[in-house]
Amino acid sequence: MDIYLQQLPQQLVNGLTLGGVYALIAIGYTMVYGILGMLNFAHGEIYMIGGFTGWWVLYLLTKSNEVIMHAALVISLMIIAAMAVSALVGMLAERVAYRPLRNAPRINLLLSALGVSIFLQNLVLNYQGAKVRSFHISSLIPESLRVIQIGPAVFSFMRALVIVITFLLMGLLALMIKKTKVGKAMRATAQDIEAAAFMGVDVDRIVVLVFLIGSALGGAAGTLVGLLFTQVDYYVGFQAGLKGFTAAVLGGIGNIYGAMLGGILLGLAESLAVTFLPSAYKDVVAFVILITVLIVRPWGLMGEKIPEKV
Amino acid sequence: MKKGILIAFSIFTVLCFVGPGYSADVKKGIHVGDAGAFTGDAAAPCMEIFNSAQVAVDEWNAKGGIQGVKIEHIMGDDAMDPAQGMNVAHKFVADELMYGVIGPPMSHVAQATLKIYGDANLATITTAASKPELTEQGYKHFFRVNARNDAHGWNCALFMQKQLKVKRVAVLNEKVAYCENMATQTIAGLKKLGITDILQETIVGGAKDYSAVLTKVKAFKPDVLFFIATTAPDQAIGVRQTKELGIDAIFFGTEGARDKKDFIQASEGAAEGAYVYHFGPDIYAIPAAAGYVKEYESKYGVLSGFGPPAYEAMNILLTAIDQAAKDGDISRKEVVENLHKIKNYEGILGFPVTFDQKGDLLGSATYFFKVVGNDFQQITVMTGK
Repeated sequence: MDIYLQQLPQQLVNGLTLGGVYALIAIGYTMVYGILGMLNFAHGEIYMIGGFTGWWVLYLLTKSNEVIMHAALVISLMIIAAMAVSALVGMLAERVAYRPLRNAPRINLLLSALGVSIFLQNLVLNYQGAKVRSFHISSLIPESLRVIQIGPAVFSFMRALVIVITFLLMGLLALMIKKTKVGKAMRATAQDIEAAAFMGVDVDRIVVLVFLIGSALGGAAGTLVGLLFTQVDYYVGFQAGLKGFTAAVLGGIGNIYGAMLGGILLGLAESLAVTFLPSAYKDVVAFVILITVLIVRPWGLMGEKIPEKV
Repeated sequence: MKKGILIAFSIFTVLCFVGPGYSADVKKGIHVGDAGAFTGDAAAPCMEIFNSAQVAVDEWNAKGGIQGVKIEHIMGDDAMDPAQGMNVAHKFVADELMYGVIGPPMSHVAQATLKIYGDANLATITTAASKPELTEQGYKHFFRVNARNDAHGWNCALFMQKQLKVKRVAVLNEKVAYCENMATQTIAGLKKLGITDILQETIVGGAKDYSAVLTKVKAFKPDVLFFIATTAPDQAIGVRQTKELGIDAIFFGTEGARDKKDFIQASEGAAEGAYVYHFGPDIYAIPAAAGYVKEYESKYGVLSGFGPPAYEAMNILLTAIDQAAKDGDISRKEVVENLHKIKNYEGILGFPVTFDQKGDLLGSATYFFKVVGNDFQQITVMTGK
């Protein structure tokens, strides 16, 4: 038993980082679903593009293994650029592939999203190649700060950074939705898109905004994972998208707080599963939890039970 | 009447050229294939295989080719995917002028294509596929210039016992044919040597985060972590996260890790002091290889360990084709038969190549390296004793 207990603090740290990243991705899925009722399958690719953008910024700002400006500035630039590029790609996808289909049957939107996903993945494969890109992060962190020991758990600097930035971004989003006028408009549109339009809400603008925010968070997640796990390739979006989507469903798709909770729960479940079971069962445990939750609460942990509209 | 004689004569002439079975006139051309994952995570080692084989082909062509015919070297990309590997195999088999293939270097792709090449009697020489079962299925066309996993597994177990003096071993393997098999063979070897404190866990290749399973390894407190993954990028993440979690064990990686750029440089110092095994020796220490090394590096850049066996394999294949072509025509069957006759071929690998009945190398060696600075240093070689 002791051998399990001594792992727990470290596995909590592992799970929290992974969960934070899942949560950031899940928010993108859940926001779009909440408003348009569609699954944006291309969201994983948006995340991947964020990772590549971050890699390029780091690559261009590194000269002979040293970053050419302050490390904090480089990391900020990486995240901001990744958010900007991902937001742009997300908005473009909405404009070109989703808006013309807004009144079409839901299945058309879904297929269109799948198409966008395949298109983006192959676009990156074509122009960036299939080789794994490594983030050279050693010049970003001073040697003494690279690993922080807190009790029995080891925090790498990047892990701490990822947790802080993830929760900061989620906090900002929650604040915006709760306190600002735009947030109110978003909530109204999510509740009833037609009624919101009658009340004078510019629904098209809100939809664009939702894609912008969701994609920007996905892009940030891409770069954060790049900094944390030091690699990106054209295929990372698939796995990440799957996990993000699972987290969104677990938390109750359409509910932003649900997505945050779902992501963190999923990350923790995976890490803790490895502690007690052979690691091959990691995904089995994650999905058994999902299935159990869906059987007991089909609308997810924090989703609302919506009566069927007649 | 005259017309009839003419027709009969033309048929006879044509038959003279065609010859019996699949054999064809050498003058029509000679193709050799190269199947491998030339795109994807393993693109770097596979391109090294292709380019090394190309060096051999260029040398033969510079000497006038085979019977005055220039050899054409054709690439077939399988992207590490068995389904695409089967497409490549069908394409190569359909090419009537194709007399032999280098590859496929991945065990799972080699397994998927074994029957296609075998049915067509088209000789294949792999330079890296090490799953033992590949040569246990009765096919005559399949050869390898690298040792099998059972030899590597036993040699790795010996290395850990004799050189690293281990008591507790953690084995992490990716869930693909080559890695699973390597783990099984090594653990069997360790147990035979009396080392029974073993933790075995699995990872998914390309998942980028192994910290959860590595935390479990940390709690096990092993002397050595044997990290079995196919590609260098995965090995780099493994060694980086091992260091990050403060795991106090020797990191021991597999052949894919012998890559300066994607393993040593990508892990930014974390790989220092790590060990890797490889099926190829330190090529710079072999005098006979100097010419090849110079030629390769002037054209394609720095070598890792995957190139030399491919250069050797292509030379052996072309030798067999050359012998088959002596009488002016050539068939795939002749090429396969000639390969079985190869005895003590002295090439650049530092040991004579002879194939046994199954197509395996006689006397298998495994080479061990340590990461020192930005390079691999050969520590020792194990030959099963």
